[in-house]
Amino acid sequence: MNATSWKEKLSAIRDSFSVSIAKNPAENPEALELHYLGRKGELALLLRDLKDIPLEERKPLGALGNAAKQEMEAKLAELKGAPGAAGPAVKSDLDLTLPGWPFPKGSLHPLTHTMNRLAEGFLKLGFTMADGPLIEDDYHNFEALNFPAFHPARDMQDTFYVDAKDQGGKPMLLRTQTSGVQIRSMEKQDPPIRVFHTGRVFRSEAVDASHSFAFHQIEGLYVDKGVSMADLKWTVDTFIKDLFGSSAKARFNPSYFPFVEPGAEVDMSCVFCKGGHTAAGRCPVCKGTGWLEVLGAGVVHPNVLKACKYDPEKWSGFAFGGGIERFAMLLYGISDMRMLYENDLRVLKQVQ
Amino acid sequence: MNILYSWLSDFIENPPAPEDLAAKLGRVGLKVEGIKKTGASFSGVSVGQILKIDKHPNADKLALVDVNYGPGELRVVCGAKNIAVGQKILFARVGAMLVEGELKKARIRGVDSEGMICSAAELGLEGDSSGIMVLPENTAVGLDAATLFPKADYLLEVEMLPNQGHCLSHYALAREFCLFYGLKLKEAQIFEGSAAGSVVPVSIDVPDLCPRYTAIVIKGLRGAKTPDWMAERLRAIGSNPKGNILIDGSNYVMYELGQPTHCFDISKLAGPEIKVRRALPGEHFTTLDNKDLKLDPGMMVIADAEKSAALAGVMGGLETAVSDYTDAILIESARFHPPTVRLASKTTGIKSESSYRFERGTDPELTMKAARRLAGLILEAAPGASVEQITDNCPVKYQPPVIEVGAGRINAILGTGIAPSEMYACLKAFQPDLADSKPWNFTVPSYRQDIENVWDVAEEVARYAGYDVIPSGSGMPMLPSTMTPLWTVTSETKNTLASLGFSEVYNYDFVSAKEMKACGLGAEGAVEVKNPLSSDYQFLRQTLLPGLLKTLRYNLNRGRDCVLIFESGTGFARKDAGKAEEVYCAGLMSGDFPEGGFWKGGQGKADFYHLKGMMARLFAGRSGFRFEAPKKAPAYFQPGLCLEMKLGGSSAGYLGRLAPAVASAFDFKDNNIFYFEIPLSCMAVAGKTEFWQKITKIKPVSAFPQNWRDLSVVLEEKHEWYELERSFSGVQDLASARLIDVYKGKNIPEGHRSLTIRFIFSSMTGTLNDADVGARLAAILDKLTKNFGAKLRS
Repeated sequence: MNATSWKEKLSAIRDSFSVSIAKNPAENPEALELHYLGRKGELALLLRDLKDIPLEERKPLGALGNAAKQEMEAKLAELKGAPGAAGPAVKSDLDLTLPGWPFPKGSLHPLTHTMNRLAEGFLKLGFTMADGPLIEDDYHNFEALNFPAFHPARDMQDTFYVDAKDQGGKPMLLRTQTSGVQIRSMEKQDPPIRVFHTGRVFRSEAVDASHSFAFHQIEGLYVDKGVSMADLKWTVDTFIKDLFGSSAKARFNPSYFPFVEPGAEVDMSCVFCKGGHTAAGRCPVCKGTGWLEVLGAGVVHPNVLKACKYDPEKWSGFAFGGGIERFAMLLYGISDMRMLYENDLRVLKQVQ
Repeated sequence: MNILYSWLSDFIENPPAPEDLAAKLGRVGLKVEGIKKTGASFSGVSVGQILKIDKHPNADKLALVDVNYGPGELRVVCGAKNIAVGQKILFARVGAMLVEGELKKARIRGVDSEGMICSAAELGLEGDSSGIMVLPENTAVGLDAATLFPKADYLLEVEMLPNQGHCLSHYALAREFCLFYGLKLKEAQIFEGSAAGSVVPVSIDVPDLCPRYTAIVIKGLRGAKTPDWMAERLRAIGSNPKGNILIDGSNYVMYELGQPTHCFDISKLAGPEIKVRRALPGEHFTTLDNKDLKLDPGMMVIADAEKSAALAGVMGGLETAVSDYTDAILIESARFHPPTVRLASKTTGIKSESSYRFERGTDPELTMKAARRLAGLILEAAPGASVEQITDNCPVKYQPPVIEVGAGRINAILGTGIAPSEMYACLKAFQPDLADSKPWNFTVPSYRQDIENVWDVAEEVARYAGYDVIPSGSGMPMLPSTMTPLWTVTSETKNTLASLGFSEVYNYDFVSAKEMKACGLGAEGAVEVKNPLSSDYQFLRQTLLPGLLKTLRYNLNRGRDCVLIFESGTGFARKDAGKAEEVYCAGLMSGDFPEGGFWKGGQGKADFYHLKGMMARLFAGRSGFRFEAPKKAPAYFQPGLCLEMKLGGSSAGYLGRLAPAVASAFDFKDNNIFYFEIPLSCMAVAGKTEFWQKITKIKPVSAFPQNWRDLSVVLEEKHEWYELERSFSGVQDLASARLIDVYKGKNIPEGHRSLTIRFIFSSMTGTLNDADVGARLAAILDKLTKNFGAKLRS
């Protein structure tokens, strides 16, 4: 063997090593090591062949051979992993494209998410959570809230009655509004008082896209010295911004709820179109009006304060309330309320 | 309430356009829910007659029709199926203004069409629009078609709240609008004459229930008819005119002025006389619509000398009703006590336009005006008739409330800085003669029965100034706030279940007797709804199970093969049966687990151990939690396949497999349904839910190596693993105990099993040697032997 053919052979070994590595980098590096660098490996044998080459030519060839050896060792070390590593850097038997273990994914209901968010918002404003029963008496659901017997205001809420009677012999009912919690809270606590409540209410009406015989409401009450409608407006404005972002704003329109005077209906500016129109035409959410009715509110009626033994000349307050389904439908883009009670897991599992 | 724009405009000088008017009404709290165009708003359409029909040369579904439209004949292309030669039809000439705009000359499939034969929809009219509109045969050809239909108008649908009794008519709504927007209110024409006669005496026995009764007697009617314009207006607002001016006129005045009136046929009144009194016990009365009512003294009636002629404020009687032959009438226009009318309406189940208005409080000063308005309308329709008697019996004179109003008080309620001059302007709009001496002594107008105090006045000021005048700003002091313990516990439970793979659902609270029975529950402990929507919703749920099973069924039917669901809601019980309302968290799992399986294998079906493990996870960290064999499991669990959960001494609910009978009653093929329910109050114990109280103090961990040993013991099957685990507490240096194998079979006695438990020991003070570990293991074996009769497996 002369120097030229030795060099060609070395070059061929290096090429074949590179090809093996490139073709299958995950191939067992130990096998490669054995094949090329082992005692009877190709390179080892070639280096041994140097002895047949004249001494003066041998030296530079030896340097070349050693350089190639170091290079191959380095490559193999890289494949085998860093010194002291628990495993090789490249492992061959995992297909990373396959799906992972299917950890079960549960979900909270959109109404729960909405209620949680509302509760957090009111907690931040210093409202304490209050509670009340679902089976309620006439006094707390109507009378003390300034719905006198034989007043047409009672027609506003079709009521379910149950086969139980209160102490005065009047039939117990399923609460038609969360407002009774106002009364129960004021009965328990002297002013100042700042409470809120969320919960289920019942109305005897047919179910359709925007009505249900059972739904949820949020209720808020604040009574202190010198509380005005401006405080109320700030509170609902803050609440609406908390839910729908800083561009949302509240507007008051005169309205009537027996337990407040003056009364207001709270409209929220439609955040989905900002003004009634979208690129596709009339906004389907606000029906082109630019406003969405979301809450009822007002100054606590003096008759309500009196019923709770609060002096209306000394104390004043505000109250507000609204349907939680309405908020959930706006937030989640649901147009039919029934979807919230259908419990289709294909729907519910979409909720993060 | 339906309001006709043209009718409303009778009372407003220079009214704004309908859309503008609607928007402005909304801003003062009168919500217009819809505006509908009514009547004929088209032009260029005349009555035509079809002379000839030919086939269209290029289209099977079209015809060529020759129409005589008066001045001449034209040929049009028509696609309607209901055309026939000789028909009188509505013919639109080129240039006519229709719903879609101006009609242009068209070339349809190669043939010129010189006009159009119209359907109702093309003219903006109601009616069948599947074909062209066919007119009666006697309609004159060439007549302007607009004259055949009511004039173009707008119908406003206004939502009326219970406190808006002062807005329940066209005039009243106009008055409200003019007041708040500074427009001039116009008055209706009324009969101004007088009459001195006393044909029918009017007496009032119950002045507190009927403070005023106005009556006008008219004679010489001779079957007067309702004029077309009146019938048209009534029809437009959805009231069905009868053609008799006495009936239609009375309705017209109610819709116009808001005061219900009634006409009695004097020839049918015994006496004749009018007596306002309470009904007699058991008195019978036949209504206008021929319903026999049994009255009671809680009701007020208008009676003649013998018996009831009307149920006051609700409905007139059949026997004294007017007819086409009526010659003499008494017009009643009275003020009735609102709760009495409402009670009578509720008791009898009769709701009328009249009772609707009386319930909401009518204007005490309106009775005479309304009676005179009706008299005027009747006289117009019956020129020969004459007014014979005008009576205004008013035993209780109306005293309007006077409210002391200070600008400071109003601004304090509203949180505004409205100038006193603006407030005065508002009050003066209500009471033009109000003196400007502060505080103002504001006399409430008679029609505003709803204004009682300064808060009510504040609302009117805000409406006048516009609600936008209320600023958004608050100096509320900070107050500490807390959640209820139950809410906190409910939230934590829901979050844990969701993180374990359960999806939350919401079901209704109502169940049927059948569903309760299917769950093995009787009706005796359940709360019943007295007026359910249907028998499906007759009872309040005692347990959340029926709803969850229906949800499972719903989702299985939609192809899902793994269902993990839970719900948090109220279970109801009869009060005498214990706690009336309890908030539960309940859920179930059924089907593949994990959902969809894993491509490497290793999935199975949801089973009892999945659920039990999840419950252990749910209650992890709560001291005193354990599983127990229940003394009495709820009926819907399979006997022997149910465990009770306990927290301290109280029950924390149940888990187990659904009873086969329940599964089959809900149409499931098998009972591989694993259910749990937890009364959440068990965790919401006062004093244990606050954040700091729930924090578990962190124990230091050992710095020395740990040792482990496996121990196999044989013991009876009845012993709950968690009991065993709990018994290890107190064993020195024991860090954990884990069940690693269960064996039954060869060499194990019947009713027993072998458990292999791995114990891990770790000391805080040093490395344990074999002797140390052996001693601790012996202590464990000793506990197992003493407490559970366990033997070391040989």
